[in-house]
Amino acid sequence: MTGRPGDPTDAIIERELERYLVERRMTRRQLLEAVTALGAAVALAPIVAACQNAGLASSAAPSTEASVAPPSTAPSEVAVASATPEPTPVPSPEKELFVYNWDQYIGEDTVSKFQDQTGIQVHYDKFPDADTQMTKLRSDGKGGGYDVSYPASTELPSLISDGVVLKLDKSLIPNVANLRPEWANPAYDPGNAYSVPNYWWTTGFAWDPKKVPGNLTTWDALFDPASHGHIGMLDDQREVFAVAGFKLGLDPNTTDEAQLDQMLNLLEQQKPLLRKYTDDDIGDMTSGNLWISHAWSGDWYQMIADKPNIKYVIPTTGAVRGNDTMVVLSGAPHPIAAQTWINFNLDPQISAGNTNYIGYMGPNAAAEQYIDDAIKGDPRLNPPQAVIDKLVELIFLPPTDLDKYTQRWNALRA
Amino acid sequence: MASPSTPAEAAAAPVVATTSTAGRRPLSERIAGLVFVAPGVVWLAIFFLAPLAIILVVSLGSRDAANHITLAHPSLDNYLRATRPEYLPAFANSLRYAGITTVLSILIGYPIAYWISRYGGSRKVLLLILVMLPFWTSYLIRTYAWMIILRDNGVLNSVLLTTGLISDPIPILNSDFAVILGMTYGFLPFAILPMYVSIDRLDGHLVEAARDLFASGRGAFLHVTLPLTMPGIVAAALLTFIPAIGDYVTPDLLGGAQTTTIAKIIQVLFTSGRDWPYGSALGFLLMVVTLGGTLLALRTLRREVIG
Repeated sequence: MTGRPGDPTDAIIERELERYLVERRMTRRQLLEAVTALGAAVALAPIVAACQNAGLASSAAPSTEASVAPPSTAPSEVAVASATPEPTPVPSPEKELFVYNWDQYIGEDTVSKFQDQTGIQVHYDKFPDADTQMTKLRSDGKGGGYDVSYPASTELPSLISDGVVLKLDKSLIPNVANLRPEWANPAYDPGNAYSVPNYWWTTGFAWDPKKVPGNLTTWDALFDPASHGHIGMLDDQREVFAVAGFKLGLDPNTTDEAQLDQMLNLLEQQKPLLRKYTDDDIGDMTSGNLWISHAWSGDWYQMIADKPNIKYVIPTTGAVRGNDTMVVLSGAPHPIAAQTWINFNLDPQISAGNTNYIGYMGPNAAAEQYIDDAIKGDPRLNPPQAVIDKLVELIFLPPTDLDKYTQRWNALRA
Repeated sequence: MASPSTPAEAAAAPVVATTSTAGRRPLSERIAGLVFVAPGVVWLAIFFLAPLAIILVVSLGSRDAANHITLAHPSLDNYLRATRPEYLPAFANSLRYAGITTVLSILIGYPIAYWISRYGGSRKVLLLILVMLPFWTSYLIRTYAWMIILRDNGVLNSVLLTTGLISDPIPILNSDFAVILGMTYGFLPFAILPMYVSIDRLDGHLVEAARDLFASGRGAFLHVTLPLTMPGIVAAALLTFIPAIGDYVTPDLLGGAQTTTIAKIIQVLFTSGRDWPYGSALGFLLMVVTLGGTLLALRTLRREVIG
């Protein structure tokens, strides 16, 4: 019968707290007894096991990268790099450089080699996701004080039209000659006027062969009722509609309303089979929630660190190819040092060193001879030309066209 | 400016309504009151009303060819688009999850609050601390913990598999069940606390009087305790339902392909859809609908309290 309406609350709390403190010893013993009675040991075993699983999953990324770069290659690389000087970069009058990139997205010693060779001090900042990157680069409309960053190719058209990136002076970047011919004139930035391609990947699907048997090669596997409730699609509207496009034989970049309705119709039939539109394909595949999932090649590379039996395929009917780029920002305090950096990263050995560390292929023809066989020889990471020819880039869409996708995507999700 | 219309004030209202029955006070006292309330008003104006005004303005705008927001031709087009029937299933999901979560939180929370108040004795504070203990950890982390428990190779499935109750993991995560479980878990403390306050304030003599007048235990509860603690229940319902209807994190992390909520639709418009005016309109509309429901509930509450 405490707490009559008139009582000052503070006094009640103080009184209660005092009692609580006095009786704490007893309470703790009672708690212990209760826990023991519940059979804590039995209950805790699976919890501990599950937590260990979780720990493994979250540490997947670094361990993958470490295994991709055998320590033996590093020393020889250093030796070669110093023995054969590349086309000497134009001496930069600038002594500092501000780089803004993903974490763990560059060769381990790329920065130190650059500093040794050019004498330019590198300030290297990292972002956790592309939204953060774009927000920061657009905060002042000219790059937020950075010199160089690594936007996805799909961001390029708007970054160019909004004046966030600087037109490149190719006389400062002679190593663009190392690019494969098919990268000389990308749709998102004709003639690579404002950007240089960095890494590229594919979007296929990954599956657990224990749950989904067979040698899967087409997108039909993601529409198979046998995997009902365990199929995942990426939580990415353009990628999902592209899958429908490949399956229907339509252009994944179409803006034709009738074709988009056809795609939507197919995806609506698929939706009841799905477990999830996932933004964590790695976690969902390794935890067993998904047996088969629409996935990025780089994500698959992280899945196999935890579950080595997971397979990945670039469907024979066509798939999406994505890439990111290196750009100089329009407000760059050190534009010459920035272009020196880009040129340096196009050096065959430096470029190969980056790829060997993170497992993504670069667009650098001259670098190929220095790339580890484990990456170079895996057709899922380095597909043959016949497969590459079937890959499609998702192009940037102006607002009116993008709306056609967004409206249908939301209708599908709702 | 600060009419009793913000969710924060609406939530605080039930408590205020029962305690302050303000008559006309001397001028000096009223000025002192203004001084005390000023920081709160400024805070709300900067961090609540200003963003709200920005959302309202953006929702009237449109985008030019370069995807920049322009107010050259302000219109209500975005609101017309926002009422499209294809979003109704997502809105229905939001309402359903919020409704079920609210009912479950009250059904589970009321006995807990009642028990703490009536039988908690000297351990009341400890018990209330236990109710609030989950807040010491970030909600996001606790939701991830639920993912670890519910996923196919998670704690729950492991226990069921080792005990031989099932032979294959059952998909629990990414379902209606997982979303409602997660939301009820998350919002339960918000329901327990106001109901506890209301039950604890209840004068026990009234219940005793009812029993003296030959009411059964059940009758005394239904005709005395329950009506007198109704303000607490309504406050609990508001504190649960309002945040639950806009909840984005729980359905997104614990839900699946079949559990999309209106919050997710709005998120898509702001991110991959790059359509802030449309997203703002949909968000504003959701706010208005929630506000309407809140005001309606508050009116009912006032009638209950004042008579």
